[in-house]
Amino acid sequence: MSEEFEPNIVAFLCNWCSYAGADLAGTSRMRYLPNVKIIRVMCSGRVNPLFLLNALQQGADGVLISGCHPGDCHYLEGNFYARRRFMLMRKLLEHVGVDPGRVNMSWVSASEGAKFADVVEETVAKAKEAGPMDQFRRRQINW
Amino acid sequence: MVDEKKLQEKARETLIRDDVRRLIGWKRGTYGFEAAPAVVTDASQAEQLIFDATCVANPASFIAIEEKKPVPRGAEPDTRKVAVMVKGCDSRAVVQQLVEKAYAREDVVVLGIPCLGVVDRRKAEKLFGQTGAQVSAKVDKEKVALDIGGDVKTVDRSNILMDKCLRCRYPNPLVSDFLLGEEVEKWADDDFADVDEFEKMSPEDKWKHWDEQFSKCIRCYSCRNVCPMCYCVECVVSKLRPQWTRRSTDISENTVYHVQRAWHLAGRCIECMECQRVCPVDIPIMTLNRKMTRDVKEMFEYEPGVDVEAEPMLACYNPQDPEEYIM
Amino acid sequence: MGDYKFARDKLADVLTSLKEYQVFAPAAVGDVLRFKEVTDPANVSLDYDNTTVPPKELMFPQTETLFKYRLGSTEVEPSVPDASKKRMVFGIRPCDAHAYSIVDNLYGWDFADPYYQKRREGTTLVGLACAEPCANCFCPSVGGGPASEKGLDALMFDLGDAYYVNSLTDKGEEFAKAAGLEAAGDADAKAAAKQGEDALKKVARSIDTAGIPEKLPSLYDHPFWEQFSDRCLGCGICTFLCPTCHCFDIQDEAEAFDARRARMWDTCMFSEYSLHTSGHNPRPTRKERTRNRISHKYSYFPEKFDVIACVGCGRCINHCPVNIDILDILDKSKQAEAKEAKTA
Repeated sequence: MSEEFEPNIVAFLCNWCSYAGADLAGTSRMRYLPNVKIIRVMCSGRVNPLFLLNALQQGADGVLISGCHPGDCHYLEGNFYARRRFMLMRKLLEHVGVDPGRVNMSWVSASEGAKFADVVEETVAKAKEAGPMDQFRRRQINW
Repeated sequence: MVDEKKLQEKARETLIRDDVRRLIGWKRGTYGFEAAPAVVTDASQAEQLIFDATCVANPASFIAIEEKKPVPRGAEPDTRKVAVMVKGCDSRAVVQQLVEKAYAREDVVVLGIPCLGVVDRRKAEKLFGQTGAQVSAKVDKEKVALDIGGDVKTVDRSNILMDKCLRCRYPNPLVSDFLLGEEVEKWADDDFADVDEFEKMSPEDKWKHWDEQFSKCIRCYSCRNVCPMCYCVECVVSKLRPQWTRRSTDISENTVYHVQRAWHLAGRCIECMECQRVCPVDIPIMTLNRKMTRDVKEMFEYEPGVDVEAEPMLACYNPQDPEEYIM
Repeated sequence: MGDYKFARDKLADVLTSLKEYQVFAPAAVGDVLRFKEVTDPANVSLDYDNTTVPPKELMFPQTETLFKYRLGSTEVEPSVPDASKKRMVFGIRPCDAHAYSIVDNLYGWDFADPYYQKRREGTTLVGLACAEPCANCFCPSVGGGPASEKGLDALMFDLGDAYYVNSLTDKGEEFAKAAGLEAAGDADAKAAAKQGEDALKKVARSIDTAGIPEKLPSLYDHPFWEQFSDRCLGCGICTFLCPTCHCFDIQDEAEAFDARRARMWDTCMFSEYSLHTSGHNPRPTRKERTRNRISHKYSYFPEKFDVIACVGCGRCINHCPVNIDILDILDKSKQAEAKEAKTA
């Protein structure tokens, strides 16, 4: 292939920890892959698994949900709920035949800029391995 | 076995009560292998109530979706109780609805019926063809005897009962105010072998299977409407602002509809299999729901619809919840 | 018009010779029968009762594009079907063909719907008479019958070792010619006629619809509707599987810079169907919606178009999860006293 496939990753980052961590990676001039498109949410517990499905429908090849470390959630419990939700959604998508490498989660605190860069790299690598998202992507098939 | 006369008597007693406004049970259908749900409001109608192996429908589906009818000016809305007859699996729906506070325990009178299994209409039609006769069916520990218009056919349970009955974990109601019959001994257990079998497929084969299945879907939403746990006043698939799932029936929207519904039922599905029973194009919806049921049990040690005091699975957490894939 | 026949084992050959048509025939999709495009003539069997999803999906698909447009452009690209593309629905039952004639009224009423009409124009309907009516069929009660010719271009009869074909229109004649059918004899025609008569006697269920269209509006406030709506789940399966139900929703779908306006099946049994933007819903509960559905089919539609919008195929009875039986409803409506309606 002349052009290597560059996956589109949508990342939902919690405002207090992960988003701040990503910000730190930026201000520290750390390089990380540009494939990721960040959406800031107040808490990882706010992320509705429908966002994940919708992102995959609209052309994301992988999704990342990142929050505070368990026990450190700014809203105390949000990330615990998120953990349960995405564990199940990942398994469900796997049962449908979707590569589980498309559903990623991480705990990145506000001081872990370097970790964020690593997380992005791993997410992109998994999405590259999974290939372009084609299964239930919205396509103009019946148009 | 259930004595129908006693059942009707108890129904009559319940309907005479001042604090009960309707009773949901079953009555003989106008044709075929399935009884019809019966909503009776007067004690005189109690004689039409039955219970046998044709009573497949889940009466608990009707409690939470009852619509508030417009009330004439000056009148008070009728807040009396609803009585409901439930088999073992149906009672789990009542328990789960109580866990989710869809209504209060005092709002229902539960008439529990220990059940030995119900007939699968599709299996019956394959064996005996479609019939216009009003079939009745007696079930015992070994056989099912169907009276098809005077013609009695006896079959092995495993050939005609619904799949859920062959692996029934709860034949006796888990909640009841009155028990209309003797409790039965459990005859099966569930090892989720079907889920394990499916998991063995490669991802490509899994997707090929679902691509085929979801392409059949005509988005009639019967699976959603018949489900006792789908009682949201405004369902997310009907929402227009924002619109999550488009109404067009291409593979993208159909997949997302089924996946999100299975996800919304994770830790809530009580496996009554009504969704699969009603699907006009035979989509194996339960495959997704069973996967969630098994995983929820394994990962979070939670089973919906058994303990009225439990918290909904996604409303609680364990600090030690598994997180093997989290970076 | 013409009498023809072909041997049972020549069915695949007949289908193969219809090269100029896009042929749809009943096919098993798992355990469920639906009309699908014929790709392998050898695999087509006409030994079937009826499809679960009616062939209405061939005339007005579940989802179809009305037109496409692009951001930044004022032009639209309509997706009107090409009537010159010949299609054939092979083996359609008389009830389903009759349904098309009924729905024609609506799609040509105040607006000539090109999407539906062009498909209709280009499609030849080759019917298959019913030798063994199903348990819940009641087509004779609503102007049809197991050997009814309404709406068909040709009607086939399964005579065991051969199919007798009666071509009814020019399109039917074209089909007979294209398929190279041999002429049938008097005996075949007589056998077919007898089969039709016998089948009519075998139809088990019926309702006398005389007076129902006029009576239903007077039962508007009658409590008997609740007998049925109380157990209705609002699932809509009756409407999706009904060959005469034709309601649709129109929605725009966009992908980056391109968009289409599409229409897809809708159902009056969902509460959103009549929900106003103000939040008011004139049919707030399933009682109003059940009453509306039956009244539309058996009263409002006949009032406008002189035909009951029901063909007696029995699908709604067969698939309703809670056994709401339209014949039961109509029966109770005949017994209900209009004066009782006032005591609501």
